Amino acid sequence: MEKYVELQESIISGKKDKVGELTQRFLDDGRPAKEILDEGLIPGMAVVGRKFQEGEYFIPEMLLSARALNVGLDLLKPLLEASDVKPVAKVLVGTVKGDIHDIGKNLVSIMLRGGGFEVIDAGVDVSPDTFVQMAKESSVDIVGLSALLTTTMPSMQETVEAFKSDGSRDKIKIMIGGAPVTTEYAEKIGADGYAQNASLAIEMARNLAGV
Amino acid sequence: MLNSRQRVEKALTHQEPDRIPLDLGGSGVTGMHVSTVYKLRQALKLDPPGTPVKIIEPYQLLGEIQPDLIDALGVDVVELPGTGTMFGFKKTDWKPWTTFDGTPVLVPGGFNTEPEPDGRILMYPDGDKSAPPSGQMPHGGYYFDTIIRQEHFDPNNLKVDDNVEEFELLSDADLQFSALQARRLFDSTDKAIFASFPGLGFGDIAQVPAPWLKHPRGIRDIEEWYISLASRPEFVSDIFARQCEVALANLQRIYAAVGNRIHVIMVSGTDFGLQTGPFIAPKVYRELFKPYNKRLNDWIHENTSWRTFIHSCGSVMAFIPDFIEAGFDILNPVQVAAADMDPTELKSRFGSQVVFWGGGVDTQKTLPFGTPDEIRAEVLERIRTFGPGGGFVFNTIHNVQPKVPIDNVLAMYETVRERGNYPVAN
Repeated sequence: MEKYVELQESIISGKKDKVGELTQRFLDDGRPAKEILDEGLIPGMAVVGRKFQEGEYFIPEMLLSARALNVGLDLLKPLLEASDVKPVAKVLVGTVKGDIHDIGKNLVSIMLRGGGFEVIDAGVDVSPDTFVQMAKESSVDIVGLSALLTTTMPSMQETVEAFKSDGSRDKIKIMIGGAPVTTEYAEKIGADGYAQNASLAIEMARNLAGV
Repeated sequence: MLNSRQRVEKALTHQEPDRIPLDLGGSGVTGMHVSTVYKLRQALKLDPPGTPVKIIEPYQLLGEIQPDLIDALGVDVVELPGTGTMFGFKKTDWKPWTTFDGTPVLVPGGFNTEPEPDGRILMYPDGDKSAPPSGQMPHGGYYFDTIIRQEHFDPNNLKVDDNVEEFELLSDADLQFSALQARRLFDSTDKAIFASFPGLGFGDIAQVPAPWLKHPRGIRDIEEWYISLASRPEFVSDIFARQCEVALANLQRIYAAVGNRIHVIMVSGTDFGLQTGPFIAPKVYRELFKPYNKRLNDWIHENTSWRTFIHSCGSVMAFIPDFIEAGFDILNPVQVAAADMDPTELKSRFGSQVVFWGGGVDTQKTLPFGTPDEIRAEVLERIRTFGPGGGFVFNTIHNVQPKVPIDNVLAMYETVRERGNYPVAN
């Protein structure tokens, strides 16, 4: 919609103050939070993802836009929760046990939030049992595992196994990502998918959520 | 037969030596994790069981590559030792310690850490436990990562001074140490000497949080730094300009101390590549980084016989023409498993202009998870691709990691030894 173009452009160019100002103004004008999300923030972030895929945007630009998006989302979040708007799906993300790298994981989280997903962030160095427990508590649809190190990739497998032994493996989808991770590895450990960057992670999550 | 130094020099001038030269431990990006060094020394029967290995780099936990290991493997490069570490403390007063995986090691006196209640261990700038910790390793981990200490800053009133505190003239004592070490290694070994000094690389994200400073000011958060490249490039350029002046003064002082008794110098370790493509826009490299890289490289080429070395992980195909124009002689680690990094294309497009120092075997997949036969096949393929015409120094793609099967490491070095003689084409 025409009136959200400026908000979209502010996301695309990473102007966080402008995003905050415009989001607040729409709220003050009585626009529903869901509409601002669906017609302002999400389309803006979709352009960012596309520009990244097409090699026009790189990590600094993505981070800048992600930060701007966050400002808008934080304003909308309490209203979305209060109005009981259903997210696309619920995703639990975390960096696996032994690994404390979180830049990639954080970028995936914000892109997912910008794609209309509800994201629960388990943080870093997350044990398999914690993933299982948190997934249950929040009844998530998807679990996203991140690892940067070859030494911590086996923690991904252990986490998949933990869901199996718990009996909750078939209730959730598991997607994995991180520098040393591949599609082949995802298949080997019995994960449902691998995405090689934050932008493709959204597509993967959509596929897994069946939307 | 050539000696090691002649062998490396030939390779660096794009001529075929007698065999492909080999580096292990020449720098902080061409080394080996201490756990693997320990296992390798045991496998080669260089030490009785339980003999500790020195951690010469306490951030990545790199193990010391001693002369007996160099001889056993046929390594052609040695590191010019420095005095300092990423956490500021000096490499002195060695004391025993044990890694999480049980490897007996020796660490510097300033390596002061006790497990926290949550099992993590922390590292402190200068080993000073009264300062906020600057490094952490999770329980069971193998490396430290920096703890970001980002103090509040006013984005509308940023001061270059705050972000250049760490760039200062090298001390006379450190230069004297380098001078002595360079002379010792030059006179008593026939190896090529690889030197690294602080403050030459611009915007290296491992250095931005400055884990050796007790109270770093300015922009120290990793995401904020990357964002700054896109949102405030003039500020970043001002930091680089100030850093560059200090670096040029240091290069003169280093040259006065070591002369041409070093052969390779690490000029940049900043990562410009991701697994999947460029980290930053090539245009940003061209405008923001390249002019400063070029000034340092130009000074080196005009005044010394040193070869200039750039390390950048990931997919860097898009940057290589600019690296070459900026005056880099050597590219590392040649991460051929990253996107758009086909070895044959790299060699054919750039092989006459830049030396490939690395690319020998993949350390994310093949070396840790492959079989010895897979490793032999990959090493042989790389020798045949990168070797012809010289311009290739064998090294793994970045440091050899922990938890790597030692038979795989042995298979790699055996293949280099047995199949690395020129001519290598068949």
